[in-house]
Amino acid sequence: MIGRLTQGQLIAAIGAVVLLVAMFLPWIGVGGTSLPSGISLPPGVSGAVGDTSENVWKGSTLDIYLLITAIVALIPALLALTDSAEEFSFVAAATFLLGVVAVILVAAFLTIDFPDGAERKIGAFIGLAAALAIAFGGFRSMQEEVAGEI
Amino acid sequence: MDANRLSQGQLVAAVAAIALFIISFLPWFGVSGAVTVGGTTIGGSQNFSLWEAENPLDIYLLIVILVALTPAVLSLMGDGADAPMASMATTLLAGVGTILILYQVFDTPGDADRKIGLFLGLIACAGIAVGGYLNMQETSGGERY
Repeated sequence: MIGRLTQGQLIAAIGAVVLLVAMFLPWIGVGGTSLPSGISLPPGVSGAVGDTSENVWKGSTLDIYLLITAIVALIPALLALTDSAEEFSFVAAATFLLGVVAVILVAAFLTIDFPDGAERKIGAFIGLAAALAIAFGGFRSMQEEVAGEI
Repeated sequence: MDANRLSQGQLVAAVAAIALFIISFLPWFGVSGAVTVGGTTIGGSQNFSLWEAENPLDIYLLIVILVALTPAVLSLMGDGADAPMASMATTLLAGVGTILILYQVFDTPGDADRKIGLFLGLIACAGIAVGGYLNMQETSGGERY
């Protein structure tokens, strides 16, 4: 079944799965104040003043957008797995387009829109790489479709 | 430049895109509160335009506006070569933009108040999607995507 997928579709699908996983990893970290050395907390009190991190689901519309992008990138793979593969030339272009915009949005999130004083966590970078993979996969699919028509 | 060169879809998308750009400077969200000190209540409110709200929606909608204006600008410049990707891109991005704004209507950031810009922006973005779809149908001559 997987063999039916073209190289571009496969790259986009892998990128989509990685993106979905990355969305649950920490994207933003906020460092808390640490206790001075020599001070110990009483029993039963946890070190609640420590670092906290949040994933992409808490905060903005980026979560919904990335979810839509991942679903569109997964469509060819899902069609192949369910044996209902049809010609959807629209999907390759849509995957490429949504992937490119996702790269722009995640890059903007990491630079312009990033909350002051917060720390960039691994999830954001994996998300950026996955969005790049989706865009590349979509582009490759478009090339493969054109090559197939000639 | 001759506006008659524009197809109906291009015109709808372009007008809606310009409207969305203007609307983006209107208040989209608002925060209000009141404090009572010694029997005296002090209240205040602040509105935020799309650009002031900490949200990637501003960059996304700017991309939608630019993509929606591209076919119209190309046609007006007499360079109206076939750009079927542009109308597809307009429809897709504006359609997703409409979903994102609709999501903000139901789930405002930080439970802020919904302001007029949010609703007008939703209508304008949906207008771009409709324009893009009409343009897609016009350019493909009824061919299904």
